[in-house]
Amino acid sequence: MGARSSGAESMEPRALLLTQKPEPMALFAFFQTILLLVSLSLRTCQSEVLSEPLPLTPESLDVSINSAQRCLHLQWRVHSLAYHQELKMVFQIEISRINTSNVIWVDYYSTTVKWNQVLHWSWESELPLECATHFVRIRSRVDDARVPEPRFWSNWSSWKEVNEQNSLGHKASSVFPVDKLVEEGSNVTICYISRSHQNNVSCYLDGVRMHVEQLDPNVSAFHVNNVAFVRETGTNIFCEMDPKDDAGTVLFVSKVLEEPKDFSCETQDFKTLHCTWDPGSDTSLVRKQPYQSYTLFESFSGEKRLCEHKNWCDWQIAQDSQEMYNFTLVAENYLRKRSVNILFNLTHRVRPMTPKVFFKNISATNATMTWRVHSTGNHRTLLCQIELHGEGKVIQQHNASIKVNGEYLLSELEPDTQYMARVHCGDANHFWKWSEWSGENFTTLEAAPSEAPDVWRDVKSELGNRTVTLFWKPLSKSHANGKIRFYNVIVENLDKPSELEPVPIPAPANHTKLALDQCSYRIHVTANNSVGTSPASVIVISGDPGNQVEEERVNVTADGFSLSWKPQSGDVTGYVVEWCDRPQDGSCDLQWENLGPNTTSTVISSDAFRPGVRYNFRIYGISTKRIAYLLEQKTGYSQELAPLVNPQVVMSNLTSHSFTLSWKDYPTETQRSFIRGYHVYLKPKEGQCHPGFEKAALSDNSVCCKYKIDKPEQKTFVVENLQPESIYEFFVTPFTSVGEGPLDAFTKVTTPDEHSHLLIRIILPTVFCVVLIMIVCYLNSQWMKEKCYPDIPDPYKSSVLSLIKSKENPHLTIMSVKDCIPDAIEVINKPEGSKIQFSGTRNSLTETEITKPAYLYLLPAEKNYSGPGPCICFENFTYNQAASNSGSCGHVPVPPTAPSQRGLLTSLENLLKALEKNYMNSQGEIPAGETTLNYVSQLASPMSGDKDSLPTDPPVPALCSEYKMQMAIPLGLASPPLSENSSVSSVTLLDQGDHHH
Amino acid sequence: MLPAAAEPAAGDSWGMLACLCTVLWHLPAVPALNRTGDPGPGPSIQKTYDLTRYLEHQLRSLAGTYLNYLGPPFNEPDFNPPRLGAETLPRATVNLDVWQNLSDKLRLTQNYEAYSHLLCYLRGLNRQAATAELRRSLAHFCTSLQGLLGSIAGVMAALGYPLPQPLPGTEPTWSPDPAHSDFLQKMDDFWLLKELQTWLWRSAKDFNRLKKKMQPPAAAVTLRLEAHGF
Repeated sequence: MGARSSGAESMEPRALLLTQKPEPMALFAFFQTILLLVSLSLRTCQSEVLSEPLPLTPESLDVSINSAQRCLHLQWRVHSLAYHQELKMVFQIEISRINTSNVIWVDYYSTTVKWNQVLHWSWESELPLECATHFVRIRSRVDDARVPEPRFWSNWSSWKEVNEQNSLGHKASSVFPVDKLVEEGSNVTICYISRSHQNNVSCYLDGVRMHVEQLDPNVSAFHVNNVAFVRETGTNIFCEMDPKDDAGTVLFVSKVLEEPKDFSCETQDFKTLHCTWDPGSDTSLVRKQPYQSYTLFESFSGEKRLCEHKNWCDWQIAQDSQEMYNFTLVAENYLRKRSVNILFNLTHRVRPMTPKVFFKNISATNATMTWRVHSTGNHRTLLCQIELHGEGKVIQQHNASIKVNGEYLLSELEPDTQYMARVHCGDANHFWKWSEWSGENFTTLEAAPSEAPDVWRDVKSELGNRTVTLFWKPLSKSHANGKIRFYNVIVENLDKPSELEPVPIPAPANHTKLALDQCSYRIHVTANNSVGTSPASVIVISGDPGNQVEEERVNVTADGFSLSWKPQSGDVTGYVVEWCDRPQDGSCDLQWENLGPNTTSTVISSDAFRPGVRYNFRIYGISTKRIAYLLEQKTGYSQELAPLVNPQVVMSNLTSHSFTLSWKDYPTETQRSFIRGYHVYLKPKEGQCHPGFEKAALSDNSVCCKYKIDKPEQKTFVVENLQPESIYEFFVTPFTSVGEGPLDAFTKVTTPDEHSHLLIRIILPTVFCVVLIMIVCYLNSQWMKEKCYPDIPDPYKSSVLSLIKSKENPHLTIMSVKDCIPDAIEVINKPEGSKIQFSGTRNSLTETEITKPAYLYLLPAEKNYSGPGPCICFENFTYNQAASNSGSCGHVPVPPTAPSQRGLLTSLENLLKALEKNYMNSQGEIPAGETTLNYVSQLASPMSGDKDSLPTDPPVPALCSEYKMQMAIPLGLASPPLSENSSVSSVTLLDQGDHHH
Repeated sequence: MLPAAAEPAAGDSWGMLACLCTVLWHLPAVPALNRTGDPGPGPSIQKTYDLTRYLEHQLRSLAGTYLNYLGPPFNEPDFNPPRLGAETLPRATVNLDVWQNLSDKLRLTQNYEAYSHLLCYLRGLNRQAATAELRRSLAHFCTSLQGLLGSIAGVMAALGYPLPQPLPGTEPTWSPDPAHSDFLQKMDDFWLLKELQTWLWRSAKDFNRLKKKMQPPAAAVTLRLEAHGF
């Protein structure tokens, strides 16, 4: 907010209610004279009147509004002044907003007032004037030295109301200022006016809610400090409230217009001046402010030109050859004007036109460059700069002074090479700027290759023949001097002179194979392009197979493999180091390096070298006869890596105390590092390691016993001092300078028992023998039975007989079967599988198979039998072991078809009677010679088993009575003496009802 | 269900099969399916419908760019300012009953007139656009809209309706009203795009309705008649 006045100067400090700068006022120089005149006239004529205050009240106050500028313009008069009277006065102006009591501005305006003068004063409001009603009033006071003190203020004028809100018309609501254009960084106050009372007013500046201050019930306002440029369509301000009554406006924020930079003018043809500048920021705003305009003004000629372009303008040079020019470039937009000035002499601002370049006389090493610069008027001397570019770099730089046409010989060029030469020129007398570069490409012609190709060989001998592979490196561009088309190889036999025939090998081949015999050969290799042949490269393949040298390890540095060798005395013309770049995949990719005769070391590096690959280097000395002799052989790794595989260990010679490990197939040459030895890991049995082993922790943190084998060539190991019948786990891994092989699974081995071999030696034969005996016995069981335990003992062999003989009856003899004449014998074969069950007792005996059933059927002997012996004897064919062992249950086989039941019973009765009689007789003396039917068991011993039933000593049996009776007696007829306790005789009664076939 | 219906006699099945074969035999003779004759307005209505959908999609992108160019609050999704200065724009919104009862001719005429006006306004918008990219997009859209106008004219011609003739000297223009503040001008731009969007949405409905209306139901009817004939 501020005030401006016109026609007067502000004399007193103004009371500021709001921050605003007052405008300066004009000063009238002649007020002193007038004051003096007034003072004099007053003193002489109206001395009593001057002693009282003058009634000089401001009148006819009129207030006008400039809404766009937010200005109030005040004008008034002081009618009370006399004609031609001038008086210095002070006016106090008060401005109120909304109501008269709300004074927002008090200002003092001092000026010398003339008669009938209209006084003006302006005030710029911070708030748009549409936002609120303003009131203005004014009063005055004489401030003239000619008027004595005290001086009094006049009365206030009446309040003048300024109400721009009426311009709203019938619109519901509005936001002010409307479409205001401001510069970036300005401060702006925005107000929102509605017809109804406002509630919940929200105002947004480009979407950002602002803090709103309510000025009265219908008006709200907010301040925006330091506004920023957002977009060329302006910053939108939008307000809303309850009830819905939205309104908005656009605040156009322009970027600050910048002063044009780098303003300069120059001419190429003395007809047009081309002026350029950097315009800086674009201050245009859509529908509000166009792009800033640029105007060129020349002060000497007074001419002006509105520039059509943003950053350049052409100025036509007048025919009168004006030399000096003073240009002012004015940039202008709606808010600001900026200008920049340059003064120059036209001849000092000459920039020659772009030259036109040609080449002529191009050879392998030279070319002539010519150029022409179009006239810059009156043939001025030009300084030209020539540049020769090769492979993107400046190779040569030359200067030349010319008038119009220039020429320069470019020499020392490489054959068959593309170059680019360019030139630019500037005024030699008053250099201003170089012209544009002008250049052309050209290519020099080819020349013969200047160097022999670098050749090396690989010799392989097989069955008396040699395959020589010749390798050569392509010539460098600087030595090839053109495109190599082919290589010529000439093989010369040194032992047998022969015709030399070159063999052309088309490029880009880099090797060829030759099959040679054991003679010595000299091989010449040349490279050829379209112009000529290179010097020959000579290599001799000797018939001597060469010497063998020991392989050494090579040192590795950060730069590569550091090789050194012993200097060779004598006729060494140089050394060659050869190696394979790719030994790992078998392709080798032979590489070599030529070294001078005084060199005894080199560092070999290659991008092909990989960690963990063993590279072999062979160092050859080249004799004066171009024969290569192997001097040294070295091997090494560019970087050693831990082995990837462990040996396949074979376990052998397992005993109860030791076993042997071997891994003879493990190749040490193809590992990823030098094998320094092996670690044999053995898991300890009871926490104790064997002698020679030491405790070690594995990578999985398990503890093991480790044995270190320092010799990489040792590939067997005997593990000793083991416990029999124990489980051991072992694992073998190589170790290198960079670590061990991978941790694999342990192999288990169980030691055998200590005596197991003895046992095997004893038990096996024993078992074999037993089995053999058993087999023999089985095969000869019948013979054995007969020999060892016959069913019926041979009475001749019985000891009983001798005993009886010696004690009782020396005349006793053994009856021979041949001597017996059977009375009647019926033998009936019983079919197999029959079952005989005895129901006499609860026990039942089942005989499943009777293989040789022979049944003895007893019948009364014929009375008239006249046998040689005194008794009748039966040979017991039917003796059954099972039946005899069954205790009380006897078994008498019964013929299946008995003659008759009655007959059988009868004979049994007879038999029983005879038995009772015989028994009774046996209790007493058996009369000798009495014939008795007796069955004598040959098994029974006369002294055994008779004690219970025969407490008394039995009488000595009569003839044939040393055999116990064995009789078949019916069960129900058993006499008491033949109780179940009695074992005197085994009597079995046949129960017919229980007898089954 | 009647037993007779549930178990058609064998003779009935043969009859149906014979009927079907006859129908298939006569299919090429059905006028509605005979493509060699005059296709009628159907395809052009379909094309117009497709074009409205395409323009709807295209406008969505263009409006987004343009409203961002105007800045907030115009690019805010819930911004709904009063329609102060856009009274001259043809209104797309109409009472549902009225819309349903529109005759084909009136429906097409309203569409044609609306897009004629909107196209003029849009060209004016294009002239005032500050950025080259925006001008390109607007020009591209104007071309598409011109195509839609031609398509509607084609449909009207196919249906035999005359094109509405603009009154001489009433060519609508979209130039800034000097009395309008820039904010109101932006509101007009906003409403132009919004109304255009509503019109395209309405036109899709209009042409969908026309399409259904113009679809010849003759195919089914003819088939039935043929079957009866058999």
